[in-house]
Formats: sequence, structure tokens, C-alpha cells
Amino acid sequence: MSKIHGLLAIMVLCIILVPVIAYLLGGWYTYWGHALLAIVFGVLVVFIKTRYYWEEE
Amino acid sequence: MAPPIPEVAPEITVGVIAAITAFLTISILLGYLMRKKAKSFEEWLVGRGDIGPLVTGFALVATYLSGWAIFGNAGLGYAYGWSGSWLIGTTSVAGIALCLVIGYRMRRYVAFGTRTVPEMLRVRFESRTVQALAGLAMIVLLIVYSVGQYKAMATVWTITTNTPFYGSLLATAILVLVYLSVGGYTGTQWVSGFQGVLLTIVGWTLGIAALIWAGGPAEIAGAIGTQTFTYPGGNQTQISLKDYTLPLPPPEGLAFPGVDYVGVVVAVFMFLFMATGFPHNIARFLGTRKITKREYWMMLPILVVGGLTPLWIGVVGLAARTVWGDSLMATNPPIYGDSAAVYASISAGGVPLASLFAASVFAAAVATLAGMVMVMATNITRDFIHNAYPKASPKKLLRLTKLMLIPFIAIPLWWTFTSPPPILSEFMAGSAVAQAGIFFFVVGVSMYWKRATKWGAISTIIYGLTLTILHPKAYGKFVGLYHWGYWALLLMFGAASIYFIISLATKPVPEERLEKLFPARK
Repeated sequence: MSKIHGLLAIMVLCIILVPVIAYLLGGWYTYWGHALLAIVFGVLVVFIKTRYYWEEE
Repeated sequence: MAPPIPEVAPEITVGVIAAITAFLTISILLGYLMRKKAKSFEEWLVGRGDIGPLVTGFALVATYLSGWAIFGNAGLGYAYGWSGSWLIGTTSVAGIALCLVIGYRMRRYVAFGTRTVPEMLRVRFESRTVQALAGLAMIVLLIVYSVGQYKAMATVWTITTNTPFYGSLLATAILVLVYLSVGGYTGTQWVSGFQGVLLTIVGWTLGIAALIWAGGPAEIAGAIGTQTFTYPGGNQTQISLKDYTLPLPPPEGLAFPGVDYVGVVVAVFMFLFMATGFPHNIARFLGTRKITKREYWMMLPILVVGGLTPLWIGVVGLAARTVWGDSLMATNPPIYGDSAAVYASISAGGVPLASLFAASVFAAAVATLAGMVMVMATNITRDFIHNAYPKASPKKLLRLTKLMLIPFIAIPLWWTFTSPPPILSEFMAGSAVAQAGIFFFVVGVSMYWKRATKWGAISTIIYGLTLTILHPKAYGKFVGLYHWGYWALLLMFGAASIYFIISLATKPVPEERLEKLFPARK
């Protein structure tokens, strides 16, 4: 599996974990945990764009 | 016994009016300055393609947030407890980051005369039908969104000036008309950028102040765990607010996204797609200059900080519920729990914070509403009339655009007058799902997927609009569609399936015509 596939897998995990932590944790851990997962997703998507799919004009 | 809901003292009214006046003056001046610098109407709409990453980042934050995030989210937290967080948008940052990555390619279309999203689609698919249909879809969905902006502004005005709700609605409509007539309307990048900074600072400040005011995180978590759901109007239930789902009784209760795990999973996808799907959001990139990799990374923290603002407003609602229990659910019809943020801003921060918060709600709502009214009026003139009669005089088109502002101010105003939504952000989520389902694919994916065809785009828009009408709280119940989660699933993933299947089944746009839009990577 290439590095980019690994990063994409982590991004998918960030989405899958959203309802899972809501079910398992609840309260503030879920509330801010969702934000943390979203931030990790955001950093990865920008990293993939700039590292692998950057478009020079 | 719960402490009393604060009385509105005259100094709060004065402070709120002063802050709103100051905000509107700054926005109008910025809009005026930018208009003076611009050489043409088109240039004013999107600038000269020279907007940098900071302004673009904050402009994106401002157009994304609008009335639901800076105001309505407190109503969600207040009314639904933890289960309201699915519509509060705890995963907003993921969607905005995706929009940052996908939306940048909009710049490519400016060179082909594109100034609006439907025009971009005309260029992409070489189809005036797609342009007109996208314009129609935007009008329908933006009218729904505009209703939410009216309720946000009218609520703040009602509570802080002691004016009756319906009088406040009229006052805000007049304010929007004034804002438009003096030229503060399109929310140029600079005006939006300024508003994005304001919304972020006030949202975070109010959220943190409310957290402290309610006794801290542990106190709030404890209080929410002991409370039960109360319907707008005051009917109490025994359904606990302690979990992230709220099993409201069917069939009406199924229309709430947090009713079960089907609804909440679909809500996560709504937030993933909607930042890109909002046409008024992705259009921000039309004015952006070429950005380096380093600047791209600079935009991310802006979007993260701005994208966490909705969560802080949600905290305000949870704090208000902790302090006042469910008492707001039975007061101030038709405002109910949506008043939580205003009262909390008065209690937690006094005159300064209440005034700044009111100005922020107006910043979000007036600018969004004015921008949407402008977009809808332009949809009529550019996407329908100019589309059908390309030789129509620009002067006449501009006059018609100005004339069309009146019905597009009046239609959502009438809607809010006759049928104000009891919980604002829940209502607006209906339009958000449709914008996510239709435009994420038709606009976002089409910029990257060469094989997309105009028939794929047309079918997706028609399907998306049809499903929108079948919302569980609109006509869905007549066909057995009571469940928000299944409805949103059908809309977004149905739209995606139709987009890909119809595109693959129809004749592709010839390669040589796409070369200019999809140049080979260097």
C-alpha cells in the first residue's frame, strides 16, 4: 500500500470514528473529539493536495 | 429554582443599536471603497483576481457561517442537548478544508468570463440549460436559507429592543433594503473577510464566557444529563438529553436528524459536502489570486479557527440550558429556544458582549441575506434573461436586477411572517442537504472529473430539487418519507448515483473542448 493510500485510509477512519465515539464516549469528549477528527481530516486533505496533487499554473 | 431570564435594560438596547450601526457603516464603507476601485460591475463582483489567502480564508469563514452557525446553533444545543451537535456541525472543519482543496480550481473559469457559479457551469458543460437550471435551483434553495437569516436578525432585534417579533421582521427587511440600496450588497471579498474576523472573535469569546458563566464543562455535562426534552411551546417529555441520539416519537420525531444513528451518520456527510456545495461559498475562489503551497497552508489555520466557531455557539446553548433549564422553550413564541444565545450573551458578558454579539448576528445575517438576494436577482437576469437574449442591453439588465431585489426580499419575509421555523438551524439543514447533494457533485466534482456530462448535471439538479420538496416536514409525509436520515441519504447519495450513472451513460464532452479546462499536469 502506498503512502497516499495510507493517508486516505486515515481520512476515512476520521469519518467512521465520528458516530463510533458518540456511541462509546458521549459528553464533551465526543463534542471536541469530533472537532479533533475533523482537524486531522483537514490537515491530511491539504497535505495530500500540496504534496501529491499540486497544480502549477 | 432556575435564576430568572435577564430583563433587557435600556443601555443594552442602546449598545446593540450602536454596535449594529457601526458594523453596517464599516461594511458599507468597505463595499463602497472596493466598488470605487473596481472598473466594472464584474470586477466588483469578484475583484481583480488579486485577493490573497488571508482575506479569502476569512471570507470563506463568513459565507460558511451565516445565521445558522453564529446564532441558530445555540438554539440547537439548548433544545436538543448533545444530540443537537449533529446539526451544530462539530465536524465543520473537515468540510471547509475539503472546500479549500476542491474550490481553488474555480479560478480557472474566471479566464473564460465566469463571474457566478451558474456561469461556471455553462462554461464547463457548454450548456445554457445547465446554467439556467442551476440558477433555478439556487433561487429555490437560497429562499429557504434566507428565511433563517430573517429569523436570526428579528430575534436579536425583538429581544434587545423589546419590539414585537413581527415588527422586528419588518424592521430587518427595511434594513436589508437600505443595506442593498447604499451598495453594501454583494459582500465583496474584503467585506466578507472583515465579517469573518468579527464572527470568529465574537463566537469564541461568547462561547468561552458562557462556559465560565454556567459553571464550567463538568457542571454543564452534569446538568444536560439530568434534563429531558421539551417541545417548542412547552410540552415536556421524559426523553433524556444525556445521549447523542434523541429517540423522539414517530412519525413527527423522525424528522429530527439526531433521532437515531442513520440520521447522524448522514448529517456527518452533509457537513462534509455542504461547504463545497454552497454556491455562495465556493464562489469565493473566483476572486482569489494564484496561491503558493505555503499560503495554502496559511489558510488552513484560519479555516480551523473559523470552523470551530459553530461549536462555541453550540456551547452557549448548552450553557443556557444548564442555567435556565427548559424555560425558554415555552416563552417568546415563535422564537422559543433560539433566544438562548441572546439572553446568554446578556447574562455572561453584559452590555459589551451582548452588543458585539448582536452586531455579529447582523453581520452574518444581513450580509448573507443581502448577498443571497443579490445572487437570486442576478440568477434571473444573467442566468435566464441574458442567457436567453445575449444581446439584451447591460443597462436594462442592471435595472432589472435592481427591480428583482424587491420580490427576493419579500418572498422569504412573507414566509417568515406566515410560518416562522421554531428551531432555526434545524430548518436550514433542509436547504443545506440539498445544496450539498446537488452542487458538491455538479460543481465540485465536475471541475475534476472530465467524464461528467451536461445530462448528468441536469438529471442531478432535477432529482435534487424533487427530493427537496419531499423533505419530511414538507411533502415527504405524503409519500411515507418521515425519516430525515433516509430522506437526506436518498437526496445526497441518490444525487451522486444519478450524476455518475447518467454521465457515464451519455456522450462525453469532446476531449479537444475540455483541453482548456483540464490542461495536462506539468
